[in-house]
Amino acid sequence: MFRKVLIANRGEIAVRVIRALRELNIESVAVFSDVDRTALHVRMADEAEHIGPAPSSESYLRIDRILEAAKKHGADAIHPGYGFLSENADFAAACEAAGIVFIGPTPDSIRRLGSKTAARILAKEAHVPTVPGSEEPAKDIEAARRLARELVYPVLLKASAGGGGKGMRRVDEESELEAAIREASSEAERSFRNSEIYIEKLIDKPRHIEIQIAGDQHGNLVHLGERECSLQRRHQKIVEECPSPLITTHPEMRVAMGEAALRIGRAVGYSSLGTVEFLADVQGNFYFLEVNTRLQVEHPVTELVTGYDLVRLQLQIAAGDKLPFKQEDIRWRGSALECRICAEDPENNFFPSPGEIVQLREPSGPGVRLDSGVYPGWTVPIDYDPLLAKLVVWDENRDATIRRMLRALNEYSIAGVETNVAFFREIMDDPLFRKGWLDTGFVSDFFGRRKPKSMPSEELELAAGLAAAAHSKNGHSKNGQPATRNQKLETSNWLADGRGSLLR
Amino acid sequence: MKWQVLIDGHAVEVDPQHLEAVKEVEPGVYSVLLEGRSFEVRTIGAQNGLSVETGGRRFTVEVRDPRNASRQSRAATGSGRQRISAPMPGKVVRLLIREGDTVDIGQGLIVVEAMKMQNEMKASRAGRVVEVCVRDGDTVTAGDTLVVLE
Repeated sequence: MFRKVLIANRGEIAVRVIRALRELNIESVAVFSDVDRTALHVRMADEAEHIGPAPSSESYLRIDRILEAAKKHGADAIHPGYGFLSENADFAAACEAAGIVFIGPTPDSIRRLGSKTAARILAKEAHVPTVPGSEEPAKDIEAARRLARELVYPVLLKASAGGGGKGMRRVDEESELEAAIREASSEAERSFRNSEIYIEKLIDKPRHIEIQIAGDQHGNLVHLGERECSLQRRHQKIVEECPSPLITTHPEMRVAMGEAALRIGRAVGYSSLGTVEFLADVQGNFYFLEVNTRLQVEHPVTELVTGYDLVRLQLQIAAGDKLPFKQEDIRWRGSALECRICAEDPENNFFPSPGEIVQLREPSGPGVRLDSGVYPGWTVPIDYDPLLAKLVVWDENRDATIRRMLRALNEYSIAGVETNVAFFREIMDDPLFRKGWLDTGFVSDFFGRRKPKSMPSEELELAAGLAAAAHSKNGHSKNGQPATRNQKLETSNWLADGRGSLLR
Repeated sequence: MKWQVLIDGHAVEVDPQHLEAVKEVEPGVYSVLLEGRSFEVRTIGAQNGLSVETGGRRFTVEVRDPRNASRQSRAATGSGRQRISAPMPGKVVRLLIREGDTVDIGQGLIVVEAMKMQNEMKASRAGRVVEVCVRDGDTVTAGDTLVVLE
């Protein structure tokens, strides 16, 4: 096993990896940018190294600086977390060349699965269903018409260089096709400087369901079941769960999707953790989407239902160990649900809300796990993703899990930045969510049918009024903070600065 | 003498004698017992006054102490000018308008990037751009005026 591991990441995932390392008696090295000097992952790690200014292109994405830090600290492996350099084949290759283990798949696997088009061809060769559509961009309007007719309307136009919904158009009938292609390709041209457009069959009310796979370096490969991640905003997941409510009613889908994911993994001799993403429709058909060659944000959901620690497993695999279990040993017990707690305002189009966390009360108790990267007094920087923490709960079945999640969300209070905690409370109470009727349009549909808030009870208003009166009687300034607070902070900044110059 | 507390604009009378039911349990966090019912109330500093959270709800609160009854007069608004200000800290990545331009309601004015997301600030009414207060690449903090419309 490794002696010392550098974590090329920040926030909650860096904290998650440090915890796994500590349990294996492996030393941890954190890296940080200018604005992350006092971040939780730096406070928790055994060692830490500054790697540059706030923009990630000058710090967390700098392969040279990260490798330099690893050498300086004598790390024998690097964990990339998710995002940043985690799916960068050049980074994996550079680690290898420097004699440092990259905790992830081989550069070759990352390359072969990282390109969406190459992965789609690979999936077809492995007899994994893909969304019916064109392999090549549509040459002219006649070819596009022919193809759309073959696919049967509605169809979806997609930019070949696409992402984030740019250049995407739904087309319901042939009369709309020509104008839609014109709009989509000019939008694609503006966004990606590439106007090529693909045509795909539109999957109506699609669900996002993915399969976790794990392979060792000795040819063993297993799947650990699915996660349903249909609740998304800005094309990013915000709620994930296992089992998928669709698979609870169609148990044969877990077997079929698991086998499909394994065929893709085998085709590249996959080792490490990976996730094969699919779209599924209401009939239970599923279509390959893409492969994520890294640890996923939502991995705790799988950990809670299978009982395995996936980060520990990932470390063991990277160190050359054999998978400690076989496919038939894996059992799925109960139900797990995750909410991604973000510094953003759901009432204002999920607008990001960085700033200082002035108060924090975190949930705990039976079946509750909180993977957090923040603490009271920490200022959430404007430079990175707004994810603050992941609230994950487990219980015997989905109904109980939702009730438990609601209880935990009611215990959760974050002040100073806007968060989506109250929004998740409403989602947990939503009748359609409770029924498990999910699809990727769920969040925008929810805003349309959302119940208006009931009037607060007189008692609640009185309690709020009394506390506010007591608060102002205590001589707190109008902004709710005691007047001494800022002075204290200033003093400590001066102290820190003075100490810093002494050490220089 | 009773205090008046405005809770989301709704006036509630508070008897100072009832303050015995309130204990500060952590800085800014109060435990309130009303006829045997237990409430936890968290007070949070907000940009415009005090905000309190209890029972999973958040209220904006204004306390009117009878001892200093002089009311603050609000700054005059609706003078025909409208300031578009940054709702959060970020970086100006694109200006979509210039001084002197006429804009329609909903038209994009300026793109601010924060936390890896670009957010377009839009005109909430039609008008003419009288001042652009920022330049490409500027870093702005919450509340900074970006554009003034008339």
